[in-house]
Amino acid sequence: MISPALRAQLESSFSRRVRETVSTGIAALDSRTGGLPRGAITEIYGSGSSGKTSLMLSILSAAMDRDEACALVDGHDSFSPGIHSGKFLWVRCHNLTQALKSTDLLLQGGGFGVVALDVSDLDGKALQEVPLSTWFRFQRSIEKTPTILTIVSGMGIAKTCASLAIRAASDFEFEDRLLAHSVTRAEIVRLRSSAGFQPGFKNVCFNFYPSFSRSIARP
Amino acid sequence: MFASIFIPHFPVQSLVRNEPELSGKAIAVVHSDAGDPALQKVVEANVAAIRAGVEPGMTRLRLQHFPEVTIRQRSVAQENSAHAALLDCAGGFSPRVEDTAHDSVLMDLEGLERLFGSYAEIAAHIYDQAILIGLQPQVAVASNPDAAICASRGFQGTRVIPCGMERRQLASIPLTLLTAEPPFLETMNRWGLHTFGDFAALPPVKISERLGQDGVRLHTCARGTSMRPLDPHKEPLRFEETMELDDAIAMLEPLRFILKRLVDQICHRLRMRHRATHEVHVRLNAYERVLQLPMPVCDSKMLVELLMLDLESHPPKAAVTKVSVEAIPAKPRSVQNGLFVPLSPEPEKLEVTLARIAHVVGKGNVGSPEVLDTHRPDAFRVSRFDSMKPAAATASSFPSLALRRFRPPLEATVKSRNGAPWWIAFQGFFGPITTASGPWKSSGEWWQQDHWAREEWDVRVRTEKGLLLFRIYCDPNNGCWFAEGVYD
Repeated sequence: MISPALRAQLESSFSRRVRETVSTGIAALDSRTGGLPRGAITEIYGSGSSGKTSLMLSILSAAMDRDEACALVDGHDSFSPGIHSGKFLWVRCHNLTQALKSTDLLLQGGGFGVVALDVSDLDGKALQEVPLSTWFRFQRSIEKTPTILTIVSGMGIAKTCASLAIRAASDFEFEDRLLAHSVTRAEIVRLRSSAGFQPGFKNVCFNFYPSFSRSIARP
Repeated sequence: MFASIFIPHFPVQSLVRNEPELSGKAIAVVHSDAGDPALQKVVEANVAAIRAGVEPGMTRLRLQHFPEVTIRQRSVAQENSAHAALLDCAGGFSPRVEDTAHDSVLMDLEGLERLFGSYAEIAAHIYDQAILIGLQPQVAVASNPDAAICASRGFQGTRVIPCGMERRQLASIPLTLLTAEPPFLETMNRWGLHTFGDFAALPPVKISERLGQDGVRLHTCARGTSMRPLDPHKEPLRFEETMELDDAIAMLEPLRFILKRLVDQICHRLRMRHRATHEVHVRLNAYERVLQLPMPVCDSKMLVELLMLDLESHPPKAAVTKVSVEAIPAKPRSVQNGLFVPLSPEPEKLEVTLARIAHVVGKGNVGSPEVLDTHRPDAFRVSRFDSMKPAAATASSFPSLALRRFRPPLEATVKSRNGAPWWIAFQGFFGPITTASGPWKSSGEWWQQDHWAREEWDVRVRTEKGLLLFRIYCDPNNGCWFAEGVYD
């Protein structure tokens, strides 16, 4: 019979390391997930117009508000510059090989708060053929660093290497034929090692609003 | 007190400095003013070559009888680099340095005892630094400049001559080291005088009568009592290293080793002068590349990596026979680190990472996006990424809807009804438009040839992949429709 004191000591010695988490920039999502774990991969996926890119930009904006250096590896050169300023690095790639190489170099170089790899518009078959060892290597590269790697894609590709996986889906609200906002529903598919957080619900809804020029032009 | 650094067999040592594998071998340096290889003569040989029987003035043809002797062409550019390195070595110790000759420099040691210890320790420090820049020196310290110069030429290793002992210590030095003027040496030989001591023993008045003022000056030097001021070197700092190759290099990989040697030398010289560099020029024959750095650095490994990445992107058009690297000096960067400094990449490491990424995706495709001051859609430029840039105020307080752009915009077929689009087809997408918001009219730069005008619509399209929200626009000038991007 093991004594309770010894059990507590053993459990505390072998308990999993609690990772520091940071905000996604969306309070509703933070309250469900506990934030993005540092030193881990976060994967966001969904079909077209699902809100995954908006969520990724929100994560980057939140990191830049913390004055952290951020990088976006844009797999298909589809990022629309605008609101982002500060320590923001944009890598415009034109194929999957360029995107993976650039991400690898950024993670090896270190020092970034968030590195976002956006491969949404790339060929799904080619993405599925990326060996799992690639994502595992990325995960090992950032494991003991404060860097967050966010992978944005049309389908889940990082699989077990991702500590947090979110599947996004959206609908759009129009008011008098004017685009009012999008309603994004995020399903938390995988959640590992959050600081004492116990997920109660798997789904969370939040809104994204169109750009300033559209809002001000409303009648 | 003054210290003199003398580099024996300077043309040989300047070559060995860039080719360390020649160290310890017998080397003869040949040169011909006419440039004809058949007329080349030995201008300098090291001790090993002289022991083997090589003599200055020997023709190249006769050198073929000494297979153990390595023959090298004289390189004035490499000698200049070695001389500049020698000046930097002296400049690292004292602010008052005299450029005495190509193979020797003189420096004032006044006040250096507090920094480096005794004069013997200073001489040892100077000797070690000269070894680090690839030169095998002879260092001497004496109370006057000429005694220090003569002692450095006459004694191997390091030698400190105490004040008042100059005449006794210089006495054993051969007179050939006092001056190279043949008439004087011939006269001395005729008189049976061979050392400084022999010459110093003659009465000054008789020397003046027979050899004139030049003779008196040399006599004072031989006695170690010459008193002349040091002539300070005031040339601006120039960090350039050159290597002339016997065989042309056509591949980039062998060039890496040469660049590494040159950059190592330059970085060492920069460190001796307490400087770094923010601009490096690489000259490969007439081809020149300039590497601009956002902050001053003095890391040779990083500089070589950046130079190689740049040369791989912009390779020289012809084989290379002469490599030259010049670093523009700058004050080193000093940073106060802190526990609460936000997460940011190390600037030195970041430069290499960015150069490697630029090598993968192209130079214009890495950097920070900067929106241009115009209403033209998707007008931006990619500027250099600055990891020190402070955080800017957030543009909006609410999460924004992102647009994924199609670059360039995709040509679309659109059917309209009552002025609003109701069906669309473009590159794999087609279907009825369930909701259309618009038109949002804009135009600009009508005074220029590439003026633009557009009527934008946000359209929700029912496709095979579900409901998608696109931004499309019509060019009113020609009625063509384009899909600009998808909201995501």
